[in-house]
Amino acid sequence: MTNRTNVDLLQGTLSALILKSLSWGPLHGYGIARWIELVTEDELLVEEGSLYPALHRLQARDLVTSQWTTSETNRRVRCYSLTEEGRQQLRAELSRWERFSVAVSRALQARKPSRAV
Amino acid sequence: MSTSERPERRIWRDTKTDANDEIAFHLEMRERDFRERGMNAEDAREAARRRFGRIDAITTEVRQIDDESARQKRRTGMWTDLRQDVSYALRGLRRAPGFTLVAVMTLALGIGANTAIFSLINAVLIKPLPFADSDALVFLWNTRASGEPEPLNPARMIDFRNQMTSLAGFAGISHLSFTLTGYGDPEQISGSSVSSSFFDVLGVRPMLGETFHAGTTDPNAVVLSHRLWLRRFNQDPSIVGRTVVLNKRVRTVAAVMPREFTWPMVTARPAPGDAGPELWVPGGPGDIPRPAIDEDVDLRTNRSAGFLRAVARLKPGVTVTQARAEAAAVAQRLSRTYAEDDGRGATIVPIRDQVSGGYRRPLVVLAGAVAFVLAIACANIASLLLGRAADRRREIAVRRALGAATGRIVRQLLTESVVLSMVGAGVGLVLAWWMSSFLLSLAPVDLTSGISVIDPRVLAFSLLVTAAVGLAFGAAPAFEVIRGPLTPALSEGGTRTSGSARTTRIRDMLVAIEIAVALVLLAGSVLLVRSFLGLTRVDTGIATRNLMTFDIRLTGERAEYQSKQVAFYTQMLDRLRAVPGVTAAGAAVTLPIGGDDFGTTYLVEGKPSPAGGEKPHGGYQIVMPGYFSAMGIPVRAGRDFQASDDRQSQPVAIVNETLARREWPGQDAIGRRIRFDDSSGWMTVVGVVGDIRHLGPSVPPRPELYQAVTQRSFPFLAVVVRTAGDPYAALPSLRRAVAELDPDLPLAHPRTMDDHIAHALSRPKFLSALITGFGAIAVVLAVIGIYGMMSWSVSQRRKELAVRMALGARGDALMQLVLRKALVLTVVGIATGLVAARIATSALTGLLFGVEATDLATLAITVGVIVIVSLAACYVPARRALSVNPVDVLR
Repeated sequence: MTNRTNVDLLQGTLSALILKSLSWGPLHGYGIARWIELVTEDELLVEEGSLYPALHRLQARDLVTSQWTTSETNRRVRCYSLTEEGRQQLRAELSRWERFSVAVSRALQARKPSRAV
Repeated sequence: MSTSERPERRIWRDTKTDANDEIAFHLEMRERDFRERGMNAEDAREAARRRFGRIDAITTEVRQIDDESARQKRRTGMWTDLRQDVSYALRGLRRAPGFTLVAVMTLALGIGANTAIFSLINAVLIKPLPFADSDALVFLWNTRASGEPEPLNPARMIDFRNQMTSLAGFAGISHLSFTLTGYGDPEQISGSSVSSSFFDVLGVRPMLGETFHAGTTDPNAVVLSHRLWLRRFNQDPSIVGRTVVLNKRVRTVAAVMPREFTWPMVTARPAPGDAGPELWVPGGPGDIPRPAIDEDVDLRTNRSAGFLRAVARLKPGVTVTQARAEAAAVAQRLSRTYAEDDGRGATIVPIRDQVSGGYRRPLVVLAGAVAFVLAIACANIASLLLGRAADRRREIAVRRALGAATGRIVRQLLTESVVLSMVGAGVGLVLAWWMSSFLLSLAPVDLTSGISVIDPRVLAFSLLVTAAVGLAFGAAPAFEVIRGPLTPALSEGGTRTSGSARTTRIRDMLVAIEIAVALVLLAGSVLLVRSFLGLTRVDTGIATRNLMTFDIRLTGERAEYQSKQVAFYTQMLDRLRAVPGVTAAGAAVTLPIGGDDFGTTYLVEGKPSPAGGEKPHGGYQIVMPGYFSAMGIPVRAGRDFQASDDRQSQPVAIVNETLARREWPGQDAIGRRIRFDDSSGWMTVVGVVGDIRHLGPSVPPRPELYQAVTQRSFPFLAVVVRTAGDPYAALPSLRRAVAELDPDLPLAHPRTMDDHIAHALSRPKFLSALITGFGAIAVVLAVIGIYGMMSWSVSQRRKELAVRMALGARGDALMQLVLRKALVLTVVGIATGLVAARIATSALTGLLFGVEATDLATLAITVGVIVIVSLAACYVPARRALSVNPVDVLR
C-alpha cells in the first residue's frame, strides 16, 4: 500500500466523498469509512481516523447533522445524515470536480504545442 | 452495523464522552470485521487501532471542532433569541398602549428631569472652571471681626502679596466702568483694572495678541473680552495694535481673549451679579489696580480705600486650609504693626466657592428634589410592571404548559422591561435636552456662561438607575410566576392566587411611598413659592412704581474737579425734572438692591471709640438733593440735603431710622455729630429718613449713613427719575435732555427699579420655579401611580363587585368599599410623608424668607392637595367598575 495518494491533497475530496456517502441515507462513521473503502478500493484512507475530523467539520458547517441512537449491542452510535445545505454543497462539489478533472486530464494528455502562439 | 431507530433520550453529555464513544464504536466494528476475516482477537484489535491512526490526537481534534462549533452556535442563537424577544416585547407593548404610554412617560420624566438638573449641577459645581489647574486658584479677602469678608486696600494687598509664602501667583482686581469713545457711539462698558500678573495667575492665553505680564506691560494697553470684540468691534481680526479711547484716555488693544474665557464680577459675598467685565486694563503706579475714578494716583501707601479683590494661585501641594492659616497669621502680624489694620483678619476662598458658592445650596436642594422625582418614577414603573406581570400569569402559564423553557420566559419578561426602559430613555433624552435649554433660559445671567447642555455621564447614570429598576421589578414577578404551580394560574385566570396577593401588597406599599415622596416635594415647593411670594411683597422702603434708573460717567475736564461734577449733576437733574411727565428726579453714587455697596465704620460724638473692638458699621450712601423724594423715601425728621450744603458750608449727614434708634434711642438725632473714624471731620446730622432694604428684599434694614454729593462727589452717578406714565416710554426724552448738555455722554444700563429688583430676585425665583416644577411632576407621577394601582385592583375585583351588585348591594356602599383601601393607603402615605417632610424641609432653612420650614399652613395645604388628588385618582376607576352591568361581567 505504498502507492496511496497523498491524503493532504485530498482533504476537499474527502469531504465530498463523505457527502456523497450520505446521499443515500443516514450512516454512522464506520459505515462511511466502509463505503469509502469499498468505492475507492482502499486507495484513499491512510488513516481511517482522519475521517472523523472531516465529518465533524462538516457538521460544524451545518452540511451534515448527527443523532445519537443505540445499537443492538447496546452501544451509543452516532448517525450522520445530510442537511439541505449539505445536499446543495454535494451538487456544487460534483460539478466542480467534473470541471477540474476534465481540465486536468486535458492538460495531461496534451501534445507538444506548435511554435505559434 | 444496524442500529435501532429509537433516538437516544438525551441526557446532557460532554463532547469528550461523545468523541470517545464514537471512536470506540468505530474500533469495535473494525475489530469485529477483522475477526470475521479470521484474525485472532489480539491481532484484530491491534490491526483496527493501527488502521485508525492516531487515536488520541483525532479524539482531541474532534472534540475541539465540536466545542468551537457549539460556542459559535450559542452566540448566534443568543442573537436570534434576542431579536425574537425584542420583537415579542415590542408587540406586547403595542398591544397594551395605555400601560406603555404611562410607563414611557413616567420613565421619560424621571430620566429627563434628572439628566437636565444634574447636568446643570455638574456644569456649575463640578466641572473644572476654564482656567489652568483651577483647583489651585483662590481669592483672598479681608475679614471684619464679624467674619464677614470685604475687599482689601492697596497697602494691605501689597503686604499680603509680599508676605504670603504659600502663594505661587497673586493679582489684584478692581471693577470699574469705562466710557468708550472714538469708535462709533459712546458706550459705557464694565471692565476691570488688574495687576499685570492677572492672566498668568489664571493661566489663560489670549486668542489674538498678547496679554499683560508682570513687569513688561504698557500702562496704556487694554485686553478685550471675546464678547466685546464680537459685539463692538465686529470681530475685526486686525484689532490688535489699534487704539480705542476709554475714559478719554487713548489705549492700545493688546489682546482679545478666547470665547471660553469668562470672568465674573467678584464680590465679597458670593452672589449672582451682572455679567462679568468686558475689558481689562493694567494697574496704576506700583501695579495697583486702578480705583473706580480711573485716575493715575499713587495708592501704594493707602490703607483705607478697600476696593481690591485678589486672586491667587496656591503653590503645588499647599492646601486651602494651610493658605488660610497663613493668611490669618499675616493678618495678625499686620494688625500689630498698623493701627488701621486692628481687628481685621483675612481669609482664603477657593475659586469654585467664590464663583458658584451662592448656588451650592439651591442646587443641592434641586438635586434632592429631582432624586425624589426619580424615586417616584421608579416606584411607578415597579408598580406598573408588577401589575402587568400579574395580569399575564395566565399567558405565562399557558406558554409553560406548552413547553417553553423557564429561562426563556424570564428572559423574555426581562427583555420587555429593558425595551421599555430604552424607549423611556429615548423620550427622556429628548425631554432632558428640551429641559436643559429651558433651564438655561430661566437661569440667572451669571450661571449661563459655559454650561454644556447635557452631560453624557449624567445621562448614563439616569439610564442605569431606571434600567436597574426595570430589571428588578420585571424579573421578580417573572420568577414568582415560574416557581408557582401551573394549575391555579390556568384554571382561575390567576386572579385569586397567593402570588397575586403578594403583588397587590407590594403595589400598595409602592403607592403609599409615592404619596409620601410626593408630599415631601409638594411641601418643599409650597414653602419656596410662599417664600418667593413673600419676597416680592416685601416693602423695600422704596416706591418702585414708574421709577426709571440709569448710570452716567463723566469724562475729561468735567470729571476732574468735584465742583465741575456737582455743577453738571445739578444742571442735569434740573433738566430732567423739566421733562414733561417727569415728577421727580434724584441721583446717588450707588443704587440700592444689587448695585455696588459701600460700607463704612462710624463714630458718634460723645461716645468713646471702642478700643480694639469692632467700630459700629453701617451702609454708606452719597446722594444728590432730591434723591429721597424721587425714591419715595420719607424724611422722618429734619430736612433733605440742599444745594447750599456745599464744600464751603459745614459738613452734614443724614441717617436712617435704624441708625438713629441704635445710637440715640428715644432722643432727637438732629444736630448730633458723627464721623467715619478718628481722623475724619465731624458731620452734623440734619435729617432722619425712612429705612430701606438696601441689600435686597430678603435682608432687613441696617444702619445707613447718607452724605451729600454736593460735599463729596465722584465722576459717576446713578440717576433715578420718577415718571407719571410708563418709564420706558419716557426714556427717549430723558436721553434727549441729557444729550442737550453733553452729546457724548451715554445713558448706561437704563432699567426700571422694578426690573432692578426682579433681577435681584432672579435666584430665588429660579429655585422656586424649578422646585415647583418638580413638585408638580411628582404629584402628576403619584396620581398616575394611584390611578394605575386603583384601576388594576378594581379590575381584579370586577367579578366580586358584580356578584355583590347582582345580590343587591347598593352602589354607594360598594363605592365606599372600593375607596376605603385607597383612603387607607393615602393616610399611610401622608403620615410617612409628614415625617419625611419634617426632615427634608429643614434643608431649605437658609433658602426660605418669611416662612418657617415647619410652617403649619404649608403642611395643611400640601396634605389637602394630596388627599383630593389621590381620591380623585381612585374615584374614576371605581366609578367605571360600578357602572358596568353585572350580567356582562358574570356571563
